[in-house]
Amino acid sequence: MTRRERALQTARRGGLVTVIALVGLAVVYVRAIAFTPIERTQGPAQKIFYVHAPIAWATMLAFAVTGLLSLLYLTMRDRKFDLMAAASAEVGTALGIAMLTTGPLWAKPIWGTFWTWDARLTSTLFTFLLFVGYLVLRGALSDFEVRARFSAVLGVMALVLVPFIHVTVYWFRTLHPDPVVMKPEGPSLPAVMLTTLLTSLIVCTVLYIGLVMQRYALAVLEDVREEEEAGDGIS
Amino acid sequence: MAASEAAVRVHDVSRRFGHRWVVRNVSMEVFPGEAVLLVGGNGAGKTTLLRVLAGLLRANRGTVDHRGMVGMVAHHTMMYDALTARENLTFYTRLHGLPRDGRGDRLIERLGLAHAADQRIATFSRGMLQRLAIARSLLHDPDVLLFDEPLTGLDDAASRIVLDVIRELKARGAALLIATHQLVELVGETARVGYMVSGRLAALEPIGGRDAGGVVSRYKELVTDGR
Amino acid sequence: MAGNLLTATAAIARKDLKVEWRTKTAFMSSLVFAVLVLAVLYFARDKTSVGDFDIAPGALWVTFTFAGMLGLNRAFLLERENRALDGLRLTPVTPTALFLGKVIGNLIFLGVVELVSLPLFILFYDVPIWRQLPILLAVVALATVGYVAVGTLLSAMVVRTRFSEVMLPVLLLPFLVPPIVSAVQLTWRILALRPLSELTGWLSLLAAFDVIFFTLSLLLFEAILIE
Repeated sequence: MTRRERALQTARRGGLVTVIALVGLAVVYVRAIAFTPIERTQGPAQKIFYVHAPIAWATMLAFAVTGLLSLLYLTMRDRKFDLMAAASAEVGTALGIAMLTTGPLWAKPIWGTFWTWDARLTSTLFTFLLFVGYLVLRGALSDFEVRARFSAVLGVMALVLVPFIHVTVYWFRTLHPDPVVMKPEGPSLPAVMLTTLLTSLIVCTVLYIGLVMQRYALAVLEDVREEEEAGDGIS
Repeated sequence: MAASEAAVRVHDVSRRFGHRWVVRNVSMEVFPGEAVLLVGGNGAGKTTLLRVLAGLLRANRGTVDHRGMVGMVAHHTMMYDALTARENLTFYTRLHGLPRDGRGDRLIERLGLAHAADQRIATFSRGMLQRLAIARSLLHDPDVLLFDEPLTGLDDAASRIVLDVIRELKARGAALLIATHQLVELVGETARVGYMVSGRLAALEPIGGRDAGGVVSRYKELVTDGR
Repeated sequence: MAGNLLTATAAIARKDLKVEWRTKTAFMSSLVFAVLVLAVLYFARDKTSVGDFDIAPGALWVTFTFAGMLGLNRAFLLERENRALDGLRLTPVTPTALFLGKVIGNLIFLGVVELVSLPLFILFYDVPIWRQLPILLAVVALATVGYVAVGTLLSAMVVRTRFSEVMLPVLLLPFLVPPIVSAVQLTWRILALRPLSELTGWLSLLAAFDVIFFTLSLLLFEAILIE
């Protein structure tokens, strides 16, 4: 198969995965609204949690993947890693925007405000801004080899930065609800809510994968076209 | 180093920018004591090839092999406007890890710049800058010298000095590769000419007694051959 | 080898400072900016509701951060003039020496801006700075090192883009969260005369950031330089 044919196949498969994820998302919505009990202290608004937290997770996953692919590119210099890293960053940014909108929608009824500058929100915002910075840098560099190299460097730096931002966060007082699932003692959600949450988590991860597959395929197709436009190559 | 051993050997080198191959499958050798002209139109890949030979760009394919040090003189001076000629050369002397034995000053003399040694180079004319750039490139006694349009923008007096230096370098056993459009002055100094067409080295051959016009005709021949 | 590293690093730093001294543009802009930011922050607050202790640490670090950013790009913009970077790469100078030289140049540059802004800061805010000066200076130094290391690496990338002045803050600001937040927390505690035990946590975070990011920036710099 030629590179173009492989890319088209990836795009088709990615599309399928995305559709599956969207169906899953619909299932999660139904389950969250109709089949999961209302949380005692927060009321019905708490249900946004079943979408917000998994999307936040998927955003962070996208970020970590971009960082790791950046490291792979720097060590192996295979363009495939660069194109994948960029795809992950774009999808991550989109998911990040979803995260940053569902969050305030949840916050307003619960905290009375759309946004606070508390530690976790601020740190998440900075991580999101790192993504945006990565994409802005890529947009500003036209030579693809320079672009790949430089964004890989930024990707690796950003990956190492995130734990630091995380720690800086924890040493602040925070309004954000304390972790309910990722606590050392184990999740403290009742089973039925936990199931909804975990289902949503899986669905969002699958959605991420499907979107990245498609975006990557698109990047490869663009690359193939540019290669053809550049004319004859070397013998 | 035996006189028959090449000072720089390039094997099947290719270099691209983005998807565009700017240098394609170039193989050549330059021997000590000779000056090779590199001719070709704009965008033929001469500058890129020189930069690959200098080590400023990695070859995407192929290998570059130098015996000894490389110096380069290009369109930009690679020096700092706010510093004087002497300061610029001292800086480069330090970077090369060379002893402070006045070599910078000697080169300034040789290139006819002694009167302006303590002036900031922002005030220098094109000819003076080119000569200072040559001085810079000679600080570390390179065995290979790469020139990218060395005579462009120079008046007669400056050109003469540069040609003298080129002859001297050849006599001392340096290998020179000179990319140029200005054939009239340089055809006399070279024994071989490399013709670059669309990134390929269409031919690398003895000058065969041609004058500037002859070289141009040969070039045109090769361009049409390639079509 | 080590000798050459030190010579090259020192030569590069010295050259940067000499050029900056002669032109002074970046330095004056940074300084004026620092004064302006301090003054604006001072006059903008309501003295009756916001105490000196509340705003002083933040004011100090906002000033240093933004004034610093004006100076960071100048280090590599200098090398773009006349393609000086090519000249550097033609010498045996290693990426490490170049990075260290630039970092030292930036540190000295920013250090001077900080030292000149500090008296102004003391003038505006009634905080017990004198007896805490040693530890405060240590914290300023630590935070500045981390900031400059990352800023130098990022500016090397950003100067190749068209809007380098804007790109640098966009990329750099998230990296400033750990060191600047730590610095503000430490400054606040130092000025409030808190015991040392309250400082150790933030100090270790700052130190860890410095060590890790200085090393990482140094290692990654080569990838930026080699084409």
